[in-house]
Amino acid sequence: MAILELNHVSKSFGGLAANSDVSFRVEEGAIMGLIGPNGAGKTTLFNCITGYYSPTRGEIVFRGHRINGLQPDKVCKLGMVRTWQKVRPLTKLSVLENVMIGALCRTNSVKAARELAARQLELVKMENRADFLAGGLPIGERKKLEMARVLATDPQLLLLDEVMGGLNPTESDDIIQLILAIKERGITQVVIEHDMKAIMRVSDRVVVLNSGEKLAEGTPVDVVNNQLVIDAYLGKAISDGTV
Amino acid sequence: MGSRLSNIILLLTLAALFFFPRFVESPYAFHIMILLFLSTIVGTSWNIIGGYTGQYSIGHAAYFGTGAYVTMVLMKDKQIPPWLGVWAGVALVIIIALVIGSICFRLRGPYFVLASIAVAEIMRLSAMNLKELTNGAEGILATELPAFRIGGRVLTDFVSKTPFYYISLVLAVVTIVVAFLVLHSKLGYCFQAIREDQDAAHALGINPTFYKNAALVISAIFTGIAGGFYAIYVGFVDPATVMSLDISVQIVLVCIIGGIGTIYGPLIGSILIVPITEALRSNLIAEAIFKTGMVSQESHFGSFLKENLAHAHALIYGILVVLVILFMPEGVVGFQRKLWSKWNKGLG
Amino acid sequence: MTVFFQAVLSGVLIGGIYALIGIGMSIIFGVMRIINFAHGDILMLGMYLSYYLFALAGIDPFVSVLIIIPIMFAFGALLQKVFINRMLDALPQNQLLLTIGLGLIMSNAMMLAFTSDYKILTTSYSSASVTLAGISISEPLAISFLITAGITALLYWFLTRTDTGQAIRATAQDAQAAQLMGINVKRMGMIAFGIGGALAATAGALISPTYYIYPQVGSAFTLKAFVITVMGGMGSVVGATIGGIIIGVTESVSSVCISSGWKDVVVFAVFLLVLLFKPAGLMGKSRM
Repeated sequence: MAILELNHVSKSFGGLAANSDVSFRVEEGAIMGLIGPNGAGKTTLFNCITGYYSPTRGEIVFRGHRINGLQPDKVCKLGMVRTWQKVRPLTKLSVLENVMIGALCRTNSVKAARELAARQLELVKMENRADFLAGGLPIGERKKLEMARVLATDPQLLLLDEVMGGLNPTESDDIIQLILAIKERGITQVVIEHDMKAIMRVSDRVVVLNSGEKLAEGTPVDVVNNQLVIDAYLGKAISDGTV
Repeated sequence: MGSRLSNIILLLTLAALFFFPRFVESPYAFHIMILLFLSTIVGTSWNIIGGYTGQYSIGHAAYFGTGAYVTMVLMKDKQIPPWLGVWAGVALVIIIALVIGSICFRLRGPYFVLASIAVAEIMRLSAMNLKELTNGAEGILATELPAFRIGGRVLTDFVSKTPFYYISLVLAVVTIVVAFLVLHSKLGYCFQAIREDQDAAHALGINPTFYKNAALVISAIFTGIAGGFYAIYVGFVDPATVMSLDISVQIVLVCIIGGIGTIYGPLIGSILIVPITEALRSNLIAEAIFKTGMVSQESHFGSFLKENLAHAHALIYGILVVLVILFMPEGVVGFQRKLWSKWNKGLG
Repeated sequence: MTVFFQAVLSGVLIGGIYALIGIGMSIIFGVMRIINFAHGDILMLGMYLSYYLFALAGIDPFVSVLIIIPIMFAFGALLQKVFINRMLDALPQNQLLLTIGLGLIMSNAMMLAFTSDYKILTTSYSSASVTLAGISISEPLAISFLITAGITALLYWFLTRTDTGQAIRATAQDAQAAQLMGINVKRMGMIAFGIGGALAATAGALISPTYYIYPQVGSAFTLKAFVITVMGGMGSVVGATIGGIIIGVTESVSSVCISSGWKDVVVFAVFLLVLLFKPAGLMGKSRM
């Protein structure tokens, strides 16, 4: 069952076409990788999907409902939530309070939100940072915080925008483990990433964007050996995990 | 500060305030306390939209003035006692807040600030021009206040300042309690999320329009009540005193100096500013300087002081604001917190 | 009909002076992204300078402009260096509050020094007027307009033909890029504030023969300056010029058609409409 469907989605700003006629389906419970060079329109697509932008053309269907132009808070309540390419911690609030904001999406009780938030922090192994001000965290923990925060909204579909950007190999590995753990919980994920090793490891399917258009789609192995993709983005063939 | 210690201090302070009228007789001291409570009420309520939600309205005089005028007009023209009339003021203030919110909340940051100023000025100018309603620039002078009766028994006839003292004290306490409850509720968390990053909050399920308007309405209600109280306490309203940009700026300054986004910031800011302001205005400070003999009343400097110190309060505001913004942007309370946590880190 | 034309013409003349105020604020915003709430108070300082130069030294206000420009340029630059410079990374709301504080200090210091008594600067031509094709034009306003036109032209030349002027425009467009190209962005900030201050004070000197002079006179002008700057597009000199004239005419015509009490309401209402529907201003982009 496709939890998310994009049908011929286009987004233009004035004369600039940031996304052109992008279509794909994401199966429930799967992990879809979304790759492509910088400026390919990946983040713009996320913005359209979550209601931050309204698509110029095309349809975005979530769990069978057309959600074009729905406000981001309504999209979140429906079960779809995203992280930001440039992390956005609520700097003057504590780590725990940050995650509580996510939890408050589902409950009106501050007490319940606090408990929910504490559990999410355990999942990302940041319980000891609960009272720390979010503004003082290093980048690796900010990324984990953002993930805990979106998980607290009890999503069915999680859109991760370069969640490994700027992390060292250990931190990236933590995130990969987290993504796999999230999959275990049955949450569907779409992952924008430049780290090809990570993409190969977690994705069930991969979509490649280039200059706003969908260039290719398929299993990770297929995509990575696709000549078009190699020419436009990868630069050389990736074989047997040498990259 | 240990929670237990601060609670004890709080209770002691409240007790002291309640028994204050027993031990003090000077009506002038009462006047200063009443003004202090009023400043706390408007500051604390502004903080809800300004400090917690991050929308720095510099147009709150619109709500203060509306509360003042409605209460006054209903009492004077329709003989409706102010403790009932003020609720009509609150109703009108809510409507106005929603209208202003629908206009101004589409704008962000400094543009929101400018819009809030423009809207408040439109209201002030309208109050000046709609003479049949508000008596224009001449203002409205109150006749005697009706006696407050419960079941035929007169509780007070508002002759002395004492009833005003207790009413404003209770209002101030209520406002602070409400602010505290709001801050620790879901509303409070959503407000702060919007302040920190409106778009991130939006994507996490928070509807900014709803919450910004909620914050503004709560803030406007208490500011309007304060305006109504001010009208009957002072006995006179005109656009220049209750609806001016000066009032809006003063409200913000008290919070900046005391500590934006903290519960007690506006209270501390009021304590710092109101007594000094009043002391200057009433020449108390000038008198004190002359008494010490440092400066003679007859001397050039002396007469300069006598003439002008009364007007210096706004200058003090300006200097305080500049100093605080440059060196203590978190305000006095914020600064004290920083010092405290540094001290704790040092000890631990 | 002549009444209407009269109103339009006076509106244009006063609009020129409003434009000066707006241009100053626009340059400050363009280069530093700060809304200067003390702008009207700098104008007030210019008024007082002009008054005392006239009262004590007999210097005609229009001539005193030559003295006031360098003095107030230095004042503006000093303000920037001592105060504003420390707040470059602060929240815009806090920067605005800082300028509010500075404005309060200026107006109240003047009140302490000179009391709030209205001062009037009367020159031989203060109430003189020239009649042209049946329309009466106030002489001081007409001269002010000419001087304003001259200063605006000079400013335009400065911004487009000199290195410093172009550096300022570059900083306004993209401060980071400008810095990477070797422009001393901090110095540009000082110059911008200096120019803004000089223009505001000049406007003050130009209107001193026709307006009451008192310490609180600034705030009304600050508000008008916002309206003009936003209408013209924050940071656009051409926009502020056009915006100034539009506001001048709007005010003048409203005052005749509705009543002088409501004219400011019309101005603020127009302001809100622009903020809501054309926030980039009537000129569209933020460009000097």
